[in-house]
Amino acid sequence: MDELKNIAPELSKLKKEVPFSTPKNYFDDFSARMQTRMQTEKQGEPEHKPKIIQLLKPFIGLAASFALIFLLVYVPLKTFITSEINEVTVNIDHSDTDSEFLNILEGIDESSFFALLDESESETTDDFTNEELMSYVSANFTDYEIFEFTKNN
Amino acid sequence: MPDSDQNIIADLKDENKRDLAFHMLVTTYQERLYWHIRKIVMNHDDTDDVLQNTFLKVWRSIDKFREESSLYTWLYRIATNESITFLNSKKKKNMMPLNDVSEYLLENLMSDPYFNGDEIQIKLQQAIIRLPEKQRIVFNMKYFDEMKYDDMAEVLDTSVGALKASYHHAAKKVEEYLKNTD
Repeated sequence: MDELKNIAPELSKLKKEVPFSTPKNYFDDFSARMQTRMQTEKQGEPEHKPKIIQLLKPFIGLAASFALIFLLVYVPLKTFITSEINEVTVNIDHSDTDSEFLNILEGIDESSFFALLDESESETTDDFTNEELMSYVSANFTDYEIFEFTKNN
Repeated sequence: MPDSDQNIIADLKDENKRDLAFHMLVTTYQERLYWHIRKIVMNHDDTDDVLQNTFLKVWRSIDKFREESSLYTWLYRIATNESITFLNSKKKKNMMPLNDVSEYLLENLMSDPYFNGDEIQIKLQQAIIRLPEKQRIVFNMKYFDEMKYDDMAEVLDTSVGALKASYHHAAKKVEEYLKNTD
């Protein structure tokens, strides 16, 4: 009190009254109101019987999250990445065959290139001689087969 | 701890006597806690809500009560925390600055039909409302309730030295307001 007089003389002169009041019989009724609220709280408390859905909840949640992750990862991969991969492989195929052909052409000198052309022309235009044909037939067919063939024609 | 408090605690922990013991606890402490809360939230209706929440919290957490502290300081601590939580929720709802609830409390005080102070008491309440929250609670507990610093330290979880300094600053500010405001 002396301390208060020293630091706050005006305040220490005031009466220590709390200028508040309450409704009539507030404290008489409060306990009964509190009991009513407690009863409501007790009734409102959820039952603790575990239901099947509650037991399965964590597993369902886990499965759902896996499915979600799968969808989020697999679908974009399938739609975007595969089309890109196809494009790349097609490009690679084209470029491979083209470049291989060019490499072969570059590897051949001019004279041997024309010699090759002449050779292929001669192969296509030249006929077999009778002697060559005779030796081929006698080497690959029996007399009987030749007889049969000539008899039918 | 008084014997009556020890009996109440023992009965509260006994399943068969719990309801009756809780009724005893409410009737014993309702008035003291009401006035403690009322000085923090000002308005009667708000005080009624906070007081009910306080007792509900006591009911739910009676098993957590450690008999190292007295029942009285434990109840005061819950009531103080519930009052602060209530004011914080009001601040959020009304988009008030976090450290200033004085305007809301002033409005609450002046519109409360259960406030019947004269001019000087209104002035004193206005000065108290303008204090920072912690200082306001300390000032009310010391000035009106004349609570011991040791008990206050237990309720507010603060050192006695800090509480003395807080009360000193609060009293100075109130004095200044009383002197300088018409």
